Amino acid sequence: MNQRHRGARLRALPMLAAALFGLAAGAAHASDNKIALIPGGPHPYFAPWEQAGKDAAKDFGIAAVDFKVPAEWKLNLQTELVESLVTQGYNAFGIFPGDAVGINQTVEELVANNIPAAALAGCAQDPTKMSFCLGTDVFNSAYLGTQALIKAMGGKGKIVHLAGLLVDPNTKLRMDAVEKAVKETNGAVTIVQHITDTDAQEAADQKINALLGAQKDEIDGLVSTAYIPSVVAAKSLRNLGDKRIKLVGIDDDQIVLDGIKDGFVAGTMAQNPYGQGYVGAYVLDLIASGTCTVKADAPWIKTPQTEHFIDSGTLLISNDNAATYKDDLKKITTEIQSTFKDKYLTCK
Amino acid sequence: MSTTTRNMTLGQRFLANEWSALAVAIVIGLVTLAVLSPAFLTEFNLYVMLRSFCVVLIVAFAQMLTLAVGQMNLSVGALGGLVAITVGGMMEKWGFPVPVAILCGLAIGAAGGLINGLLTVRTGINGFIITLATASAFTGINLGITESIPFYNLPASFVAFGTGRFYALPYLLLPPVLIAIALAFFLARTVPGRQLLAVGGNPQAAELSGIPRDRVIVMAHTLSGLLAGAAAILAVAQLGSAQPTIGVDWLLMSFAAPIIGGAALTGGHISVAATALAVVLIVIIQNGMVLAKVDPYWVQFLLGALILAAVGLNRLRAVRAGGA
Amino acid sequence: MKWSLTHGFTMTHSVSSDTRGRPSFLAEQSNLIGLAAIIILFWILFTSLAPGFVSSFNLFALSRSLAVDVVIGFSTMVVLATGGMNLAIGSIGVCAVMASGYLMQTIGLPIPVAMALALLLGAFLGWLNGFVIVRSGVNSFIITLASASLFLGGMLILSKAQTFNALPPEIAAFGRMRWGFVSPLLFIALGIGAALIVLFRFTALGREILAAGANARAAELSGVPVGRAIIIAHTLSGALAASAGLMLVIRLGAAMPSIGQDWLLPSFLAPVLGGTLLAGGYVSVVGTILGAFLVTTIRSGLLVMQIGNFWLQLFLGLILLAAVMLDRYRSIYAERRSLGRKDAGRRSSGRRA
Repeated sequence: MNQRHRGARLRALPMLAAALFGLAAGAAHASDNKIALIPGGPHPYFAPWEQAGKDAAKDFGIAAVDFKVPAEWKLNLQTELVESLVTQGYNAFGIFPGDAVGINQTVEELVANNIPAAALAGCAQDPTKMSFCLGTDVFNSAYLGTQALIKAMGGKGKIVHLAGLLVDPNTKLRMDAVEKAVKETNGAVTIVQHITDTDAQEAADQKINALLGAQKDEIDGLVSTAYIPSVVAAKSLRNLGDKRIKLVGIDDDQIVLDGIKDGFVAGTMAQNPYGQGYVGAYVLDLIASGTCTVKADAPWIKTPQTEHFIDSGTLLISNDNAATYKDDLKKITTEIQSTFKDKYLTCK
Repeated sequence: MSTTTRNMTLGQRFLANEWSALAVAIVIGLVTLAVLSPAFLTEFNLYVMLRSFCVVLIVAFAQMLTLAVGQMNLSVGALGGLVAITVGGMMEKWGFPVPVAILCGLAIGAAGGLINGLLTVRTGINGFIITLATASAFTGINLGITESIPFYNLPASFVAFGTGRFYALPYLLLPPVLIAIALAFFLARTVPGRQLLAVGGNPQAAELSGIPRDRVIVMAHTLSGLLAGAAAILAVAQLGSAQPTIGVDWLLMSFAAPIIGGAALTGGHISVAATALAVVLIVIIQNGMVLAKVDPYWVQFLLGALILAAVGLNRLRAVRAGGA
Repeated sequence: MKWSLTHGFTMTHSVSSDTRGRPSFLAEQSNLIGLAAIIILFWILFTSLAPGFVSSFNLFALSRSLAVDVVIGFSTMVVLATGGMNLAIGSIGVCAVMASGYLMQTIGLPIPVAMALALLLGAFLGWLNGFVIVRSGVNSFIITLASASLFLGGMLILSKAQTFNALPPEIAAFGRMRWGFVSPLLFIALGIGAALIVLFRFTALGREILAAGANARAAELSGVPVGRAIIIAHTLSGALAASAGLMLVIRLGAAMPSIGQDWLLPSFLAPVLGGTLLAGGYVSVVGTILGAFLVTTIRSGLLVMQIGNFWLQLFLGLILLAAVMLDRYRSIYAERRSLGRKDAGRRSSGRRA
């Protein structure tokens, strides 16, 4: 755990530069807002949020930006946590919706009590009272990932899609995205199957190894659109010693990065969790203080889920940029943070 | 049973075994899959299947022992998760040698089971409720210690054990096989083992004949905890990292296997061989669903249907054998 | 003693029939008073430590989750009455949820019709459980373990796990509605409770269900249609699970496939804390309500007191353990006082009930 946090801190150091820049731009506005950053449940993806919150609190003079995790990945635990935090005086929320639709009723109540909320990392489904959604475009990320895989396979072959929880609506979006990218090859690439519910270590280990056992000679590529199966697939291919099957995963777990370095993984779609937490806290502070409101006619991206989407950045990590991608993500974060006010907000 | 066995034909005797229906189902499954998919009998696929067999088998045994005395252990998974992360933590953070960490893990598992047993016996509250509550407590300790962040950096030798294989035989298979043999011997040939079955079969009679009923129940829970711990350590080796989520999905399997293997919830009637065969069947089914590229939405449905079918078949066999 | 196979779940702990069964009126009342006292204690504790606990926002949130927990508890309680178990309530609940979403959003049926049909579906699935249990003679634990998987799988196949989120706006509006500090949903739950009290206290059917649970063979000998009673209890359980699901649809303003997956623990906690016997034959409706109230209070209180999220589960487990044990010793004490003149053997076997 410490190691993980230390990693986040190291990554955070250059962020200070961005922060100073932010301070200069936003002047020294200190606020007594208490902001909570709440993931859908415990998941390694969100670990950088803790440091992001601390940095944002320091850099923008916010009273508190706290990382609060529901004990398990269940919507009702998340909404209960949100409700109890309101009772404790938190007045702005950055939330990864435990369920894209189910969270909306809670958000509506927050807004009715003058407490702004923003969707971070993943969106809530419209119609929603979330101020905005800052996250990875799941459809786009899965689409780009599949395209990268198809390219790595030389434009033809058979692929399998490893997806997350079946009850998560985003899973269906990702399946559609993979199918769209496959369809664009006009039959050169075919999709053998979607394997779902692999976003838990034991299930992933069982299903992915069974898949490889059964069809390792038939399939040419794997695209994973969830964190855990990316890690497990990278590990399994290494155990198998197979460099023929191409794998494009998601997120930058060390095991996946090592796989890229050693040639077992073709690439992985990086997301920007630190930036989501950092920029999210910054903007929520502005809104909660009453200084700014969200602009209606801002250059929002429209996604199947929401009309108020801001891309927090996604990029393909491959052997070429494995050493430098973190700097690229930082650049993206700085860019989003410094232009956010002008682009998306109306401020007094 | 033994007096009637002599008068049965070979076929009837076969039917009278609790594992006969399972054996038939397994053979049918194996043949069907081998015919349908050439990949099924490849060395790597057999290795994959045997590997996923290991943890499930020990988990099933852990539940089977509590079922034997008419109890339940809803905390198998929670206790497993706790043992998994403590073993991982000892190896990664404290640098304990592998054998020491394993022994500590087993001790924690047994201690958890002992707590379950003592609470059940001393308070007289139903074991179902006690283990429901302790499951919540074990999970709480697990989450509190790890904050859901796994231990990744485990000793290479330990991880290598989890992935190593001799042709199709994973090294991981060794502990479950030894445990199965030991358990069969324990239940059939030792005094505490027989007492365990006697208490489950007829608690009043057992008590009258001087068997310390409470002590036997505590023993069953302790052994159940010990096995849950063993399963967890194996799961850590298999996954190569100590995940706090280990054990979350164990509950359904833990009941499904002994029950498909003919265990009665009222106690006294369990079979090591039948439970092992049930796990084999479950593994074949899971593997088969991946091989047959079953639409993911059907997986849940089929699993339920198959449990029901196995139970129905088993009952039909019992009725036939009984009627003959 | 050996129970008939149609009889659902029994523990070896079940004891000879004359000692168990309905606790005395005095024991029952002291059970409820004890539970209420524990709840009041927690309320005093939480209110003094975290003033936000009694804020109107928190009270409203608490009342709403309480309403759902109470009905989930009822759903398990009616099956416990027969000595059986229903592990499929979460799956039945989500089937009803998705059916109501489909009927309202895709078919466009009026809200009451759609809800009624969803309740019927829940009742039907419950009936199916009961029918198979009685006909096959297989333990209810096993049947519902398997059917939970079947129902959930069937729902996933039919719905493709797609959330219905364009429900009529009245649904969400109802979910936000407040009567004073509490949600009207709580009154629905209490209304259901009142109906269940009538059923178990004053109707022949209710008494038959309890008799079937107390001692299936004796009940059968005295002419009670045990099979029918078990099937009806499961049907009722299905309908109640469906109601809990619909309450969540109202609370969330959407019909989601993930509803119901974590009902197992609360479904047992409420009735068992409330004194309903796992072995069957005795239920306490008021006890179930109080049991759910205790669990909801503890959860909410621990969260508001900022006890680390990750440790919450541990505290919950320990407090529940303490609560059942306290309740256990208190009722033994009460029993000893009221049964002081009875022989010792009866006391010791009662302990194991």
